[in-house]
Amino acid sequence: MMDFLNLMLEPLQEVFVKFEAFLPNLLAMLVILAVGILLARVVRVLLLKFLRVIQFDSWSDRMGFTTLLRKGDLWLKPSAVLGGTVFWILVIVTLMAGLGALNVAAIDTLVAQFFNYLPRVFSAAVILAIGYLFTSFISRAVLITLVNSGYHYARLLAEAIRVLLMLMILAMVMEQLQIATNVVLAAFSILFGGIVIALAIAFGVGGIDTARRIVEQKFAEEPPKAPDDIEHL
Amino acid sequence: MDAVTLRADIHQQIEQFGKADIVVGIPSFNSAHTIGHVVRAVQAGLAKYFPECKAVIVNSDGGSSDGTMEVVHNTSIGDFGTILLHHRIEPVLKMAFPYSGIPGKGSAFRAVFEVAQALEAKACVVVDSDLRSITPEWIELLLKPVLNGGFDYVAPLYHRHKFDGTITNSIVYPLTRALYGQQVRQPIGGDFGFSGKLAQFYLTKDVWETDVARFGIDIWMTTTAIANGFKVAQSFLGAKIHDAKDPGTDLGNMLYQVVSSTFQLMENYAEVWTPVRGSQPVPTFGFEYTVGLEHVNVNTARMLALFREGLLNLREIWLGILGAGDLKEVERLGEMEDVKFHFPMALWTRIIYDYAIAFHQKRLPAEHLLKSLLPLYIGKTVSFVLQVGPMEAHEAETEIDKLCLEFEHGKDFLCTCWK
Repeated sequence: MMDFLNLMLEPLQEVFVKFEAFLPNLLAMLVILAVGILLARVVRVLLLKFLRVIQFDSWSDRMGFTTLLRKGDLWLKPSAVLGGTVFWILVIVTLMAGLGALNVAAIDTLVAQFFNYLPRVFSAAVILAIGYLFTSFISRAVLITLVNSGYHYARLLAEAIRVLLMLMILAMVMEQLQIATNVVLAAFSILFGGIVIALAIAFGVGGIDTARRIVEQKFAEEPPKAPDDIEHL
Repeated sequence: MDAVTLRADIHQQIEQFGKADIVVGIPSFNSAHTIGHVVRAVQAGLAKYFPECKAVIVNSDGGSSDGTMEVVHNTSIGDFGTILLHHRIEPVLKMAFPYSGIPGKGSAFRAVFEVAQALEAKACVVVDSDLRSITPEWIELLLKPVLNGGFDYVAPLYHRHKFDGTITNSIVYPLTRALYGQQVRQPIGGDFGFSGKLAQFYLTKDVWETDVARFGIDIWMTTTAIANGFKVAQSFLGAKIHDAKDPGTDLGNMLYQVVSSTFQLMENYAEVWTPVRGSQPVPTFGFEYTVGLEHVNVNTARMLALFREGLLNLREIWLGILGAGDLKEVERLGEMEDVKFHFPMALWTRIIYDYAIAFHQKRLPAEHLLKSLLPLYIGKTVSFVLQVGPMEAHEAETEIDKLCLEFEHGKDFLCTCWK
């Protein structure tokens, strides 16, 4: 009977001993999680206050970030979006740190991989943000310059430049995140090259007459234009 | 402030000259075929009206490749008897050198200010090197109010064709007048007289790496003089006829540089202009007479096409600057027939004030913001051309005056939104 009881209790004792050894780790994880989430909340509040002081929402309106958020069906203020993003990043980091405290080999590997990957996520986010600003700036500059030159397809060309630049930036982001690097590179090369070839063929085949007209006009004697002698200054 | 832009040999030349009563600055760039006439007119003016004053002509050149500086060195009036001199004549000294700094009229002027400061000049005058209508009397009219009248700044007053000077007539003059309350008709005229004291004051300002160093210098000089309480006058000089502008000069850049300088000055002098309401005439010298002006051709169809192109493509940018109400009014203009096209003065006033506020609030990069104004400005210009086409010059001037009053009446809106 005693043997039978021992047989029954031994595994339970073993579980209890293991749990006893594991309990401090679990407690540490819970404490890390609690403190981390509290800290993340404090950081979010402070960040929102700071963003309000520097008028981040107005700046985002000017830079076109707000428009971008609305296009993505996000109707929160840009400052709230940034605050929320930072909060969740901190929560995820806390969760990873908490899981690390459990001292489980499989989880440790996962946590190590996560922290190794984090710099890539950060640099990809930076590339995306700067790339978006750069793309908007270039596209707007092209649009205004072409409109002021009286070019009829100004918007079309500016949008084409915006799309091409965004494609290039997205390819850079994917490469940075190491997501299907080869596929992305190949897809980008095919797409970019395809667009260029398509344009060349479209102009070469479809636009033979247009091309001829342009060349003829270029080398023919300029037709007399209505004069414009106005002095603006 | 130390003279930082002048070379050592220029300093040596200045030391040789010692002191001077008058400095005449002529900024130039590839003006060999016109600058000779300007130098002769200046020499004659100095000899005829200021024979007892020691004067130095300073040609501040932007690196001309056509021998402009050689023309300045070699130009002199052979027979002063032809201009009926009977006074003792102080020699007119000359110096010509390439200026340093950002290429532009502003950098050329900076060098003139530095020479004036080094020579302790009592009065200075600057005139463009491409003028064909300059006479010796211009020198008298720009200098006498400074030397004898106690004025610090003399702006020019010209007769120009009613279609010319549209940036001045539709933006710079109404805005400057409404902001600072002084009716200086040609705030960016290009030819000015000013005291040595004012030249020294200009040099204390750190603006030489900005658009002031380019096309913005004229409005900067005028506004700085007015806003800092210097005594301002204007002199009637007759017609302003100058060499045809380089066709490559980009209107968008010109508009951007002038308007950005004007708006930047609004930032600097917000405390000066916000309490000002209404405007006062400034003392005007010279005998005003009617002058014959060459016909000016304007291709309104092409200009209207550019305005409509802007309407089609820049809608989103304009919406962020003008707001939905004013944009709707602009859109209505786009639907008008060419011959009936009319840009209401009140709308134009609000547009300029909206742009000033957008510049103040940095809603867009300054260059994008102000270059997006070009199609609207072109629309306003077409409207003005169509409206004043059948009018006499004085009637066209009355229309400009009405626009100025509109700017003055609308100033409360600007002041409210500026805060």
